[in-house]
Amino acid sequence: MFERFTSEARLVVRNAQEEARRLRHPLIGTEHLLLALADASEGPGAQALRDRGLGAAGLRVRVTGIVGPPGDELDPQALATLGIDLEEVRRVTEASFGPGALDARGRKPVPPGHIPFGKRAKKVLELSLREALRLGHNHIGDGHILLGLIREGEGVAAKVLVDAGVDLADLRDDVTRRISSEAA
Amino acid sequence: MSDGVQLAQEASSRDPAVGLRAVRALRELAERLEALQVHSAREQGWSWQEIAVCLGVSKQAVHKKYGGRRILGKER
Repeated sequence: MFERFTSEARLVVRNAQEEARRLRHPLIGTEHLLLALADASEGPGAQALRDRGLGAAGLRVRVTGIVGPPGDELDPQALATLGIDLEEVRRVTEASFGPGALDARGRKPVPPGHIPFGKRAKKVLELSLREALRLGHNHIGDGHILLGLIREGEGVAAKVLVDAGVDLADLRDDVTRRISSEAA
Repeated sequence: MSDGVQLAQEASSRDPAVGLRAVRALRELAERLEALQVHSAREQGWSWQEIAVCLGVSKQAVHKKYGGRRILGKER
């Protein structure tokens, strides 16, 4: 399947792994594909996102807002859902043990090596192939991956886009138009 | 309404994404508090056995996790 991917789409797939690594996630999810797409690509998919004001930096903030900070950081937002005020915990521990008492004692190492694709992200790649076939294209570019993300529709990526006020149907039409005019 | 209250209400929505993330956050916080307290106990002369009893784990478990570092927390 990857032999049909354009060099841009391959870059997206490769960088999705690095996005997952950076967030210390054990699997590649749809959100990592979306971040890689916005960050690494100049193709129609990335352009459509950019035209909606969705750059990699802003999307990254939105993704961590949903999935939480990288695996080894304290997560005040999530603790608040349990009624725990992290600042209060920090205050009392520092009162006993001094400033920085709650800071991490050495970061956990970034996981090296291959990070596998999760189920949804795998599905997105399959759907990107299907979208390309449906449009009569013999290659898969970053736009098809974005179409796959939209078609999958239930991963973190789709949620991020919807939360950012994106109309998914409108984005799909826009991306399709861009890919088709590029192919023409 | 404060963010905290709003989030607390979200937590009762039974959304696994919210609930599981909270569990992870709690685990990370507990890990840091544990390291802090074990370090402090060692400095105050507690034995691994005494620490283990308080944490409700085996002496081997606590020693494996925190032993072998002479001055906990002072290293990278």
